[in-house]
Amino acid sequence: MGHYFQAMKSVGTTLKNALRKPTTSLYPEVIRPRGERYRVAFALTHDEHGEENCIACKLCSLICPSEIITVTPGEKRDSPVTGKKRGYLEDFTLDMNACIYCELCVQVCPTDAIVMTRQPEKPAFAREDLVMTMDKLYANEKSKPLSWSNGTRLCDVQDPARPVTTLQAKAEASVPEPAPTAQPAPPTAEVP
Amino acid sequence: MTHAVFDALNPPPVADVHLDLESYDADADLMVLNLGPQHPSTHGVFRVKLVLDGEVIVKAVPYPGYLHRGVEKLLEKLTYAQQTPIVDKNDYLSPMINEQVLNMAFEAGLGIEVPRRARWLRTILAELQRLASHLVAIGTFVMDVGGSIGGGASMFMYTFRDRELILDLFEDLTGGRFHYNTHQVGGNRHDVPVGWDVSIRAACDQIERSLDEWDVMTVKNGVFRDRTIGVGVLSRDLALQLGASGPIMRASGIDLDLRRDAPYHLYDELDVQVATGTGGDCFTRYRLRAVECRESIRLIRILLEDVPEGPLCSLKPSKGPTAVKIKDGQWYVAVEGPRGEIGTYLIAGGNKGMSPYRLKIRPPSLHALATVPYLLPGHTLSDAVAILGSLDPIMGEVDR
Repeated sequence: MGHYFQAMKSVGTTLKNALRKPTTSLYPEVIRPRGERYRVAFALTHDEHGEENCIACKLCSLICPSEIITVTPGEKRDSPVTGKKRGYLEDFTLDMNACIYCELCVQVCPTDAIVMTRQPEKPAFAREDLVMTMDKLYANEKSKPLSWSNGTRLCDVQDPARPVTTLQAKAEASVPEPAPTAQPAPPTAEVP
Repeated sequence: MTHAVFDALNPPPVADVHLDLESYDADADLMVLNLGPQHPSTHGVFRVKLVLDGEVIVKAVPYPGYLHRGVEKLLEKLTYAQQTPIVDKNDYLSPMINEQVLNMAFEAGLGIEVPRRARWLRTILAELQRLASHLVAIGTFVMDVGGSIGGGASMFMYTFRDRELILDLFEDLTGGRFHYNTHQVGGNRHDVPVGWDVSIRAACDQIERSLDEWDVMTVKNGVFRDRTIGVGVLSRDLALQLGASGPIMRASGIDLDLRRDAPYHLYDELDVQVATGTGGDCFTRYRLRAVECRESIRLIRILLEDVPEGPLCSLKPSKGPTAVKIKDGQWYVAVEGPRGEIGTYLIAGGNKGMSPYRLKIRPPSLHALATVPYLLPGHTLSDAVAILGSLDPIMGEVDR
């Protein structure tokens, strides 16, 4: 008889939860807001003068643990903006089939050329569709919201000589109340 | 586990447990049944060959290895700066702790200090990850034990609902929900976003409320108690012999926790209350995980009261795969993961000092699964599912 009573209490908990507001959302209609650091796809960027940021230094292809980035450097020529000689991309491919989203290519980029985006790539029917060419990556810069991180920001955060006042955790925090200390009971306390 | 700590426990000599069928009743009609490799209660791809006499298990032979991906060999090829995202995939329910123990081994090899803010962040990430991992362990175990309405599958959904809160916290910090790559040699890669501690407090409050609610469905529920009390009793001696660690070992009465006994990160400043049980059965293992959830919440709240300022990394940000070089030597670093002692044994010196010569990962789940041939015989087939669920193995780290 005790079992029935206890089981009904369990059912009561289930019913209580069934009446709560659901935490899930219907996906295609409601898209959950993503965090500003969320990273799911890639983009190549231009600077404020409309010039390509990438200087074809190949650091991203060297650090990539999955070896999915292929950089083909083009001829070095004078930049129309600064007048200095710099490298340019001939071709750039990134194979999203094997990407593990580790963000290391973003961190090592010296010119903030490769960044990640917060909106994923569309699912594809063929593997070739997931190989991101240079054109697709430059198009992503315009069409997808970019993630927070780029090479400069990540290196600023990780700088050993960083000033101590940046990015304080308690900037908006309320005054913490003293936490109630839950004393762990012996686990077998209620065993009959 | 340090030698001194282990020797103090006075482990008995390994007994010769003879699991031979020759001594069994010759008239019995034995049946061989393969549980797995794709059975949902095996938590992955794990096969146990069961010899059954009716419904009672006579002999159990575990066959791991279905998820072998050659991670340790891959780590010998990659350089030190590239390895963190790979070990995320080992124990896929606690990637943070995998990353931490790997990078702590590299830091031991380099002999560098980690800044205090990074150690604070690593402590809080470890506790959050332990909470998230235990929530999955509790939920899947209760689902394995069974029941639909009023237990089982509904509780599984509730634990996953609350685990999402922690995954959201990790997404705010690192940008990834599951594979973070937020640790690196010398510190962390991402700093705390503004207002993160408010979200942590809200998540902790919610999970604490839920833990109270789940007690009604489990430890105060007679059906659950009948299914778990006295099932799969692991004795103290056997736990020591087989190298079981973590909640499985503590449920058998061994008072050992690396957070308290061999402190790392900021644990030496925290008073970690280690819960132990004496039953050694499935029920005690479940209770112990629930108690550790509450303890993690308590530690997180203490940590949030004092946020240290300062740099996050003691090395310059890595700008290439060869940024870290470790000279020859051997180091073993172990931390207390959600499933027990997870260790990294590093022999440096491969690839001109840029890769490990050999890197061995000590997975706690493998040693938990070593108890399967001893725990299952004598129980019914339905209890086998409950015992496997209470061991909480993660096949990703067992097979690596």
